[in-house]
Amino acid sequence: MLTYFVKRLGLAAVIVSVAMFLLFCMIYLIPGDPASVALGPRATEEMRAALREKMGLNQPVILQFWNFYVGAWTGDLGEEVLSGRPVMTVVLEQLPFTLALIAGGITWSVALGIPLGCWAAVSRGSTADRIVGILSVAVIAVPSFVIAIYALLIFAVQLRWLPAIGAGEPGNLGDQLTHLILPSLAVGLGWVGYIARMVRASMLEVLEASHIRTARAFGLPDRMITYRYALSIAILPTVTLLGVGIGQMLSSAVFAEIVFARPGVGKLVYDAILTRNFPVVTGTVLVTTVLFVLLNLVADLIIGALDPRVRSSF
Amino acid sequence: MSEVVSNPPGRVAEIWRPIRKILREPLGALGLFLVLLVIFGAVFADFLTSYDPTRINPRARFQGPGAEHLLGTDQLGRDLFARVLHGGRIALYVALVSTAVSLAIGIVLGLIAGYGPRWLDNLMILLFDAMKSFPTVMLALALVTLMGPSLTAVMVVVILVTVPGYARIIRTQTIALKSSEYVTAAQSMGASSARILRVHILPNVIGPLVILASMDIPVVIGIEAGMSFLGLGVRPPTPSWGSILNDGFTGIRDSAWIAIAGGVPIIITTLGFTFLGETLRDVFDPRLKGR
Amino acid sequence: MSSIFSKDISRRSVLAGAGAFGAASLAFPNMAVSADGSVLTIRSYSDLQLLDPAFWLSLPEADIMRSIFAPLVSNQSGDEWAWRPVAVDSIEQLDDLTIAFKLRDKIGFTDGYGQMTADDVKFSIERIADPANESPYAGDWSALKEVEVKDTLSGLIHLKNKFVPLWTTTLPTPASCIVSRKAVGELGGKIGTEPVAQSGPYLLTEWVPKQKTVLTRNPDWAYEQGGYEEIHILPIEDPATAELGFEAGDLDYTWTSVSSLPRLKENPPAGSVVVEKPSLAYVWLGMNKDNETLKDVRIRRAIQHAIDREIVVDAAYFGAASVGNGIIAPGLPGSRDSVTYDYDPDKARALLEEAGATNLTVTLDILNQSERLTAAQVIQANLADVGINCEIKQNDSGTFWTLGSKDGDYFMDLQLVLSRFSMNPDPSWATVWFTPEQVGVWNWERFNDADYKALHEEGLVESDPAKRDEIYRKMQDLMDESGCYVFLTHEVVGLIHKDTVDPGLKPNGEPLLPLFKPA
Repeated sequence: MLTYFVKRLGLAAVIVSVAMFLLFCMIYLIPGDPASVALGPRATEEMRAALREKMGLNQPVILQFWNFYVGAWTGDLGEEVLSGRPVMTVVLEQLPFTLALIAGGITWSVALGIPLGCWAAVSRGSTADRIVGILSVAVIAVPSFVIAIYALLIFAVQLRWLPAIGAGEPGNLGDQLTHLILPSLAVGLGWVGYIARMVRASMLEVLEASHIRTARAFGLPDRMITYRYALSIAILPTVTLLGVGIGQMLSSAVFAEIVFARPGVGKLVYDAILTRNFPVVTGTVLVTTVLFVLLNLVADLIIGALDPRVRSSF
Repeated sequence: MSEVVSNPPGRVAEIWRPIRKILREPLGALGLFLVLLVIFGAVFADFLTSYDPTRINPRARFQGPGAEHLLGTDQLGRDLFARVLHGGRIALYVALVSTAVSLAIGIVLGLIAGYGPRWLDNLMILLFDAMKSFPTVMLALALVTLMGPSLTAVMVVVILVTVPGYARIIRTQTIALKSSEYVTAAQSMGASSARILRVHILPNVIGPLVILASMDIPVVIGIEAGMSFLGLGVRPPTPSWGSILNDGFTGIRDSAWIAIAGGVPIIITTLGFTFLGETLRDVFDPRLKGR
Repeated sequence: MSSIFSKDISRRSVLAGAGAFGAASLAFPNMAVSADGSVLTIRSYSDLQLLDPAFWLSLPEADIMRSIFAPLVSNQSGDEWAWRPVAVDSIEQLDDLTIAFKLRDKIGFTDGYGQMTADDVKFSIERIADPANESPYAGDWSALKEVEVKDTLSGLIHLKNKFVPLWTTTLPTPASCIVSRKAVGELGGKIGTEPVAQSGPYLLTEWVPKQKTVLTRNPDWAYEQGGYEEIHILPIEDPATAELGFEAGDLDYTWTSVSSLPRLKENPPAGSVVVEKPSLAYVWLGMNKDNETLKDVRIRRAIQHAIDREIVVDAAYFGAASVGNGIIAPGLPGSRDSVTYDYDPDKARALLEEAGATNLTVTLDILNQSERLTAAQVIQANLADVGINCEIKQNDSGTFWTLGSKDGDYFMDLQLVLSRFSMNPDPSWATVWFTPEQVGVWNWERFNDADYKALHEEGLVESDPAKRDEIYRKMQDLMDESGCYVFLTHEVVGLIHKDTVDPGLKPNGEPLLPLFKPA
């Protein structure tokens, strides 16, 4: 198990490094001078040159990458172009909002997906099963930003049930949660489908398993079998979805954060690219990529722990 | 890709059989109906409305849906029904062209990775994984700032996003087939690698791939609409569902019909293709289930 | 999510006046809110980056700085451009080259930096003017010779030459905000996002990046008190979003997009007041005269005649703004009633034919923003009418603002560009960007006219309003003749506030935070 773990961790580090290198090459090619954008209309040529120098933009891309790379391992992601604030601080300020959004999305998808999946599995082959099947496919298909806009239109603009913008008053948890409902619905709705399907499939498998049949033979009530025994086992594989999901959820988060004017890393990186605030771009992408790869790793490790076949094949 | 057709359809019945199979599934029938509806709208756009989707008429702006303008007008007084129909052309164009290109590239890269030397395989898998670890939006943003907003940029993004998936599947299948008996037999008979790939491996992997690609079409349409929504996609005045949705978002308080006109077609199309794709898969290749 | 910094104000009371209430309300900010409701929540379009009077970047920063670093003078609220003293007891122009000032005697810096003195004024002004500091605002003090300290509180500002815009666009801006010599010295010469040694009627007490900035009444401020105990400033970039937020009750005051004005005026949210103010900004369609396709002046003039400015402006702003005729807004010297070209597509076609330009294709670069996009699409249609095929290229702000820069590789390829500049209430603020020195910097049309340059210099030292008026009109006529410009509009400023708020606004609608009061 340990070798497997180390191997996977090593691979994860390599993937992150390659991803960051690709990002640097891409950024290097982007036109538009961060110095002129950052300093605004009234800056002099000398000021722009000085800022370019300070940002290291005159160095070859490989050297810029190396400096960033070495710093990153020690947790130093550089400084924001103008304010001089550490990028790590900037990213960590915004990260909780996006994590909350994703956690909210997962909550939605779990809260809706697991009961739906269970229901479908228990009533296999019935109309209910078919409807859940169609619903699952339907919510997976619709792009999250369309859901975001329609959620805003219906629940915030027309019905006025929920707030339209922002993340809520800092320090006021209730307010922040109310502000989280719609955006996290937009982020999580698609995953309702995945989870429902996954739960249904693994539930069917579990219900066929011998110990459940034994339990049934012992005369335990069906309801108890389904929810106490079968579900607790069937839920495990859905963990693996978490790793795969987070990358897509980050994409959805960008839209949700734009539509609902929420703070967060999605909005941060979007703005940073538009204003050529490259240290923030690279820093944010690094942090989210690491997060993504780590979550995948955790998911893989869980699968590895559950299923020894995976380990040996590595 | 013309060599792909392994068993040319001889009789008309050969064509009808799969369609009947799809129609027997309610979901498939609905999917097919929705897809045909969208295709019909896009193809016959010019016959279905007399309005020019780019003709501006500021005096007629912000008119709600009615007899004159079926879906209302936007902030420039353009007919939204015409824009939605023509927007369908853009969506389908992007979906078909970029999926085809992406498939072609994916097949080539997958075959190389699966059949080629081990180090090349490892390198490519690493690159695929690295590409996949960026959120799609990030990639789109970086590329558009690089290339400037245009349909081409959208298609490049789509291709970059979808190629790794196809290539990986081809690679897995290729590796599985590589060690199969008939391939080793062909090898021992001195067949060239190219011939083995073309004759023995490709026909066996192409089927599932096409089904998967059809299921990716909603994703592609979502990317195009999403990028156009952010103003990173089609250039004005070209209508795109995403840009209509963007117009609608700006005036969401008073002119909700614009957002509805932009969003509903996206939903219809993605649902249609997904339902159809699911049915195709269930009917023709149940092995792919649970991907 | 905790704030970046949050300071205990009561500890740094330098002078008398910190009441028990002030300290208590800061310890429990939310209680204070519910107790007297004295919180004003407003929207700014961007978050803080630099709170330094010599290096600030955006208007929201300027609004904050003028509340927390007492400026010598600030704008008066109302419909006329006027100033009022803030840090000074008296200030007057003795002659063309000398201004005398005397500071108020009860202004202190927080964080233990003592009383504000004439030496701090000398420091604050000279650091902006000093070329070595590379302040983007050095131009505001370009006429400065030196600041002479007479005694603790009084001194003289000496100018090298006569400088007419001093009282309109230098003194009532952050260029007269006073910072502490000692504090800035200790910071290494530059203030970032954490202000030290604040001195204004408000203090910045909390900043949560991308979420909000909190200004709290300065308990030590002994003069006109700000109308609210706290001002919460939320950075919201998108005007449509801010409007939604206002309607949801999240904001007490925001400005709106111009295009929303008509519908807001027609149908104002309950309990709110919609205000329309004239704007000083100017929007125009620029043409790059050095571009291969546009170098024939007849083609540029054809485009001038091809654009129906009325329709473009009506479409882009939904009837809220009217057509503008230059870069200088009505009410300022040099404002014109008309341009020297009219909408005449036939003439445009004739000019194109004369120039032998058939099947012309041009690219119009715009900022990715909905009003701009709408205007561009009308321009596109106008040009199609005279046989010019126009492609619209939407740019993000990062790309857009460097398009015409001579450091880039696009400045010669640039053809048409839709631009908007904002402006201060002196005509020289508009004309300065189109001088030959600005070619490839902000003069993207590469309009290069020696007469224009001479007139610009003349305008800076001419104090007779009638003569200035003539000078600046002539300059805009020259711009017309170059064929490089189609002047579109000055826009209007739209804003909306709750009827419980009496906003303090400059004539162009920009906020003066300390002057907001409960209505």
